[in-house]
Amino acid sequence: MGRIVYAAAMSHVLYPDYYGQNVGPHGRRMVEELIAVVRDMGRSLTAAAPDALVVVADDHLNVFSFDAIPALCVRVGRSVNRMIQDGAIEFDRALEGLPERYPVHEDLANSILEKGMQAGFDFAASWSAPLDHAFLSPVATLYGDRAVPPLVPFWVNCFVTPQPTARRCFDAGRHIARVVAEGPWNVAVIATGGLSHFPELSLARVGQSDPVFDRRIVKLMESGDHDSMTALTAKELHESGSHELLNWLVLLGAVSPARARVRFYGEMGRVDLAALEWEVA
Amino acid sequence: MSRYETNVVLYRLKKDAAFRARFRADPRQALADADLTEEEREAFARWDARTLNDLGGMLHLLISIPGLGSH
Repeated sequence: MGRIVYAAAMSHVLYPDYYGQNVGPHGRRMVEELIAVVRDMGRSLTAAAPDALVVVADDHLNVFSFDAIPALCVRVGRSVNRMIQDGAIEFDRALEGLPERYPVHEDLANSILEKGMQAGFDFAASWSAPLDHAFLSPVATLYGDRAVPPLVPFWVNCFVTPQPTARRCFDAGRHIARVVAEGPWNVAVIATGGLSHFPELSLARVGQSDPVFDRRIVKLMESGDHDSMTALTAKELHESGSHELLNWLVLLGAVSPARARVRFYGEMGRVDLAALEWEVA
Repeated sequence: MSRYETNVVLYRLKKDAAFRARFRADPRQALADADLTEEEREAFARWDARTLNDLGGMLHLLISIPGLGSH
């Protein structure tokens, strides 16, 4: 019987130059502290020796165009490439120098997709979508020079309305946990993004975060209050700039009722940063 | 307001280097066939990112178009 052997969530622009340029020295220092914590978390993740790593993250209009935006999408196939973007902004310059291709855990990805269809989750499937910083900045920081296990990239539409609900994301995570339990693999799950930034996705409000909201959210996850997390509304997520919490909600569903342990929390102003682990072993 | 078309143009500006070059040389000509309102067309022509955002243009596209995006 399979099990989830490691679970964590973390901010996903782990690139000091971005904060240095857009926030200043204190932003750079804060993310460098976060990166050191995530590297340490990577040692725990590596020690858990997962057969597969499920990465729950969002697309920043890098991959899916307005031709079709999947609410929830499983990356299937044998391998996945990192995104190539000419003239990339700092977010995605974090990808430069990383391996161009990563293995996909095809059996687990197919199981999540196919059993999802049977269970009422109409997941989209992609054979070709590449990975942007939301996936690879955390993976690269967690693993460093160590070999990355086969991935199962899982996209949540966090930004283009209408997004899936918090409850639906949580339920998708419950589904992933069931698939893992029914399978033979030891699986790690990470979710990425956040905390609050880019409120209302308004250019005029870039630079603002919502620390009151973020403190509340972190406490809910520490106390294991997943009912309050699944009750979060699209309006609350949008106004506070917490769109990417939908990724975290998938993770919460996968690990519930486990409580989070805060490894890092920092209020930068432009974006609040965090890294949390869940006691799943 | 044609939120879809606005974002289609923004996405194309991000991903299609040749289109982006044509747009930078002559934005009105590059957008001649796009199904935009005059307000949207004018905002593109002036590269008024705030107005494009107010008109439904996605923030993450507006900030990430090579040579145009900034935040």
